Amino acid sequence: MKRGASAFWVRIGLASLFLVLAVFTLSIVATGEELQVAVHLQGAEVVPYWDPSDGASGEIGLMNNLYEALLRYDAVTNTFTPILAMSYEQSEDAKTWTFKLRKGVKFHTGNVMDAHTVKASIDRTIERDRGSAYIWSPVDSIEVVDDYTVRFHLRQSAPLDLIVAAGYCAYIFDPEYSDHDWFNAGNDSGTGPYTVESSEGSEKVIIKKFDDYWGGWEGKHFDRVVFLSVPEASTRRLMLETGDADFCEQLPSTDIEALQDNSTVRVEVNPSFQNLMVLYNNQRAPLDNALVRRALSYLIPYEDTVAVALGGHGHVSRGVIPYGLWGHSDRVETFTYSPTVAKALLTQAGYPDGGFKFLLTYPAGYEDLRKTVELWKAACAELNITLDARAMPTAERNAIARSPDPVKRQDIYLLYWWPDYANPDSFLSGMFYTQERPAYNLGYYSNPVFDALIDYAVTLPAGSQEAIDLMVELQNILQRDAAGIAVWDMQYLRAMNTSVQGYVDNAAYPNVVFWYNCYRE
Amino acid sequence: MLSYIVRRLLIGVLSLFGASVIAFTLTRIIPSDPADMWMGPRATVEQIERAHVELGLDKPIPVQYGIYMSKFLRGDWGISVVTKQPVLRDLAGYLPASIELIVFGMLVGFAVGIPLGILSAAKPGRWVDHTSRVFAITGVALPSFWLAMLLQLVLGKELSLFPLIGRVDLLVEIMNPIRRITGLYVFDSLITGNFAALKDALWHIVLPGLTLAMYPLGLATRMVRTSMLEVLREDYIRTARASGVREAKVLTVYALRNALGPVLTVAALTFGYSLVSTFLIESLFAWPGLGRYAAKAIVSVDYPAIMGVTLLVAAFYVILNLGVDLIQAVMDPRIRWS
Repeated sequence: MKRGASAFWVRIGLASLFLVLAVFTLSIVATGEELQVAVHLQGAEVVPYWDPSDGASGEIGLMNNLYEALLRYDAVTNTFTPILAMSYEQSEDAKTWTFKLRKGVKFHTGNVMDAHTVKASIDRTIERDRGSAYIWSPVDSIEVVDDYTVRFHLRQSAPLDLIVAAGYCAYIFDPEYSDHDWFNAGNDSGTGPYTVESSEGSEKVIIKKFDDYWGGWEGKHFDRVVFLSVPEASTRRLMLETGDADFCEQLPSTDIEALQDNSTVRVEVNPSFQNLMVLYNNQRAPLDNALVRRALSYLIPYEDTVAVALGGHGHVSRGVIPYGLWGHSDRVETFTYSPTVAKALLTQAGYPDGGFKFLLTYPAGYEDLRKTVELWKAACAELNITLDARAMPTAERNAIARSPDPVKRQDIYLLYWWPDYANPDSFLSGMFYTQERPAYNLGYYSNPVFDALIDYAVTLPAGSQEAIDLMVELQNILQRDAAGIAVWDMQYLRAMNTSVQGYVDNAAYPNVVFWYNCYRE
Repeated sequence: MLSYIVRRLLIGVLSLFGASVIAFTLTRIIPSDPADMWMGPRATVEQIERAHVELGLDKPIPVQYGIYMSKFLRGDWGISVVTKQPVLRDLAGYLPASIELIVFGMLVGFAVGIPLGILSAAKPGRWVDHTSRVFAITGVALPSFWLAMLLQLVLGKELSLFPLIGRVDLLVEIMNPIRRITGLYVFDSLITGNFAALKDALWHIVLPGLTLAMYPLGLATRMVRTSMLEVLREDYIRTARASGVREAKVLTVYALRNALGPVLTVAALTFGYSLVSTFLIESLFAWPGLGRYAAKAIVSVDYPAIMGVTLLVAAFYVILNLGVDLIQAVMDPRIRWS
């Protein structure tokens, strides 16, 4: 009797517990129908840098939803969309630029955006001098003309419209809320459509819509966006397949192929400004001989690398400026895979039997790079050239590459490159302009003629015929010297839930989804 | 007893000091430049040089160590080069997630493994024994990442029984945010009466927890079986059986008590080891735990984070070992405080 009574109460207890759980679950589902939430997956960390003055990395996707710049550049139409600036004009010599600002814009802090806050934001970024802040180097001073007009005075001509539209370090924020530690605690003070609701380390950030956003909230939009770092590609793919995620930045080409048969996932292939660069150590024998560098360049099986490493989603490079960016041209000389030519060049250089061993370093964790290197390695082995290829963490291989002792440096350095703003100069001066202490000229190339032409090129109006011609000439110098070469230009593979509409890829803002423009259908 | 504890604690402090010296030296002699990571991917030479000064990397290594330890003892464990957050804050965020997962996994592992080991020892050479041994060896030998992916595919994707990743559903997190008290979601949601989050947190821990449970399960089964077989040959067990004590009581009370000593030691070591060795499981299930943090720190040569994790895990080892020794001494009168 006693046992029967206790069993009765246990049953009652369990039933009550289930009832409570059911009520809670139903309440969640019911409310969840009203709330539009998007889940954005990244392989890397969501927010390596919280400070809007510091960024140069994977935070670009999140930050461009929290913060805004004066303009936004459309890489396809080569036009600018007014964001915080309504209009702008430049002087004839492109040294003075005046921007008329949008009125009625509020920061997430409640303060109003005006010319003073724009000046203070950019001044702070310049002063901190971190991340991609170097983009402001042409700026001499910023003048507040009136509350809604700001004027930039440049030291030299520069495409300031592109600079103010950069994806990094061009954000406008509330200077009253710009303490570095405050940002690092997971706060933001931008004007963007979303603001931070919560964050968990640098791996998960939930943003919510900012009610006072100047663009308003008419029409369909997402209420919340969750940015989630999921390192494993297999897990990211599973999440897309099960509908647990809405958007995935990058997936290996094998996963993309598998997803193309899935009716709930849409795959988009979009152009990018990102390429794979090979930098030869121009200062160490035998790579100090251009003939040897050219021979190695003829040993890269270009077409195969695009087919195997990228699954066909890319182009064989023609010059170091990638497809789609002004300065890219069919007039640039190029290398093709030809062991015969390579052999002839090695013979001409006095090394008919090869016999070299080169230390090649490349970033760890990238399957496409590993495949490319393996193909190149096999081709080199045919001519008795050994590539000692090592996948290494960035900090480790940069320590080798920047070692003050040239003996300790690598022979060949591979890296992905993309511009901080849509300007081809980044591909030229960044990696090939003479640097006494190398930062990214990690092939240690030095050519006074090339340097002089670069100095002149930056004074020309962006995209002008003269500037384009000069870009072609500069690239041909690099090709003839084989100072360093581009192997392939990537295409970005985006996988998203078919219910997500409004997404437009923009190569000038790699991996950015402007979630305000997206909605669920 | 008190002098024993004090002596052990002193040895523990010495161990921590040794661990700190080794970890600090190793992170400094690796050819890597943390300043590069600190300043970001497009840093100029001038920016990197400035970072060397900011981070104190321009000073001799012994001086750097001295500065680090003096700050460490005052509660400043440095700033992570990767997350740019104070290491102590990072650890406070990541550690509870790991502890929750490991406790769940070990509870399941030992709850199943110990009875299996007893059964196996009770019927040596019989089918129960063979089956449990195969199960145990499989549990120990199975690569955790493979099992994790299998569980995700079958129970997550195909059968939709359990969520694929995370500690709690994103919608539940938004609608029913968990008030952080200890950082253990199950515990926090329970004591704050957030039952929607509690149910969801329990649901989320199943797959990573089962993956993690396999190793302690196999280990416990094997160790309990071996220890039990040894104990069951003892005279006092024969006496107990001859006196007519029920077999179940002989096994679970008389034999198990003396057989559990080594299992306890291994449990403690496994717990300490799991704190950072679960990074693959945490990666696959996007579980924001210490293992994932440690793995990322090592790959990035994030030296303040590496130091923080090393000292924390070393401290766990010291405390757990001491705790186990004390428990063993209480359980087994043959063990003396000396």
